[in-house]
Amino acid sequence: MKSVLKRLTLITTRETELIDITAEVRKAVEESGVRSGTAFVLSLHTTTGLTVNEGLPDLERDIADFLQVLVPEDHPYRHARFLHSDGQMAINAPSHLRGALLGFQAFFPIEEGRLVTGGRQTIYFVELDGPQERGCLVQVLGE
Amino acid sequence: MIDFHTHPVMIRELRRDDPDLERAVREVFQLHFPAQPLELFLAEMDAAGVQQAVLLPIDCTSAHGCRIVTNEQVAELAGANPRFLGFASVDPSSKNAPKQLERAIRGLGLRGLKLDPALQRFHPDDRRLAWPLYQACAELGIPMLIHCGLSWSLLGQAKYARPLALEEVAQEFPALPIIVAHFGWPWVEEALLLALKYRNVYLDTSIVYSGTPRDALRHVLERQIGIEVLERSLPHQVLFGSNYPRADIRRSVRGLDALPLSPALREAVARGNAARLLGLGGRP
Repeated sequence: MKSVLKRLTLITTRETELIDITAEVRKAVEESGVRSGTAFVLSLHTTTGLTVNEGLPDLERDIADFLQVLVPEDHPYRHARFLHSDGQMAINAPSHLRGALLGFQAFFPIEEGRLVTGGRQTIYFVELDGPQERGCLVQVLGE
Repeated sequence: MIDFHTHPVMIRELRRDDPDLERAVREVFQLHFPAQPLELFLAEMDAAGVQQAVLLPIDCTSAHGCRIVTNEQVAELAGANPRFLGFASVDPSSKNAPKQLERAIRGLGLRGLKLDPALQRFHPDDRRLAWPLYQACAELGIPMLIHCGLSWSLLGQAKYARPLALEEVAQEFPALPIIVAHFGWPWVEEALLLALKYRNVYLDTSIVYSGTPRDALRHVLERQIGIEVLERSLPHQVLFGSNYPRADIRRSVRGLDALPLSPALREAVARGNAARLLGLGGRP
C-alpha cells in the first residue's frame, strides 16, 4: 500500500470564508501515482471546517450566514478567557462551535488514478476565525 | 478607525530574521501563538474595519535584556505602509534614554513614546529615571502611551503600573498627552479620576481580562463607569485600542460597536481623538 501526504497552505482574508480546494485535492491524487484507493482531506485546525457542497456563490453565502445564526457571536460562552498557553485571549468559542458543526475531514474514493466525486460536489476548506494562515492535509492511500 | 494599541509581535518577516526578537516575544512578552505573515496583520485590520494601527514596541533592555521589537523595526514597518503609525520605546534606565527618544522621533520619524513600567520595571513617579523622558516627550511634542494595570506577561509586575502614580506627571507636564492603557484595569477608578481631572490624560479601551471585548467593555464602560460619564466628561479623551494580538481586532471593534454610544462619541473614540492626538488629517 502506498501513502502520499500533501500539505496545502492557505492564506485566508476574511473571518468566515469558503475556499474551494477541489482542484488541489484532485491534483494531489493525480500526482500521487495511486490508481485505486482513498483520498482523505483533513484540516489541521479547530476553528475551521471541511465540507462538501454544490459550488455556487449563493450557497457559499448561505452556509456562511447560517453558521452565524446557528452559533451566535454574543452568548455567554465559557471559552472566553485568557489562555496562558497562547498568551492571548481565547474569545473565539463561536469559531470552534461552527467548526464542530461542519466537521474537519472529508474522504473520496480513487478510481483509475482519479478522484471520484459527485458531479456537483465541491470540496470546501472553511475559515471560521480568519484572517489566518492555515494548513490542510491530503493523504492519498492505495495501490 | 484607528487602533491605538497594537503590538507588532506576530509578524513572521520580523521574527524569522531576528532570533533575539523571537526569544523576546516568547519568553518576555510571552505570546506563544505562531507568527503569521505581515499581510495577515493588514487583513485582520481590514476584516475589523480598521484603517490605521499604532505599533507599540517595548524596550526591556535593563529588566530582561531584550527589546520586544526595536524602534528601527517599527520605523521600517511604518515607513513601508502608511496604515502603520509607529511609536518608539526606550529603556528609562538607559543613561541616554532622552537622546535615544529624540533620535527615534526626529531620525526615524516615529510619533510617540510607549512605556511599560510593569515589564520595564520602573516606577512612573521616579523623578530620577522617568522625568527626563517625560520632559523629552513634552519638548518633542509627542504623546506618551503608558501601560497601566494588569500585565499578562508573567514577568510583568503590577506594582509598577498603578495609574495614580501618573498624577504628578500630569500636573507637571500639562502639555504632554498621557495615554493610560487598558483603562488601567483593574484600577479603573484611578484611571478615570486622572482623566476626569486632567485634560492631558487619555484612556484606551484595550481592556482585556476575562470574557470577550464586548463583555469587558460593557462591564467597565457601561456598568462600572457609565456611558453618560464618557458622553458628558470625556468625549475627547477616550481612544479605541485592541491590544492585538492579546485580543483580535475584529472582536474588539464589535465590542466597541455594542456599546450604546452616541454617533459623535463613537466617531471620536474610533478615530477622531486619535487623529487629533497624532496630527492626522482627513477622513477615515
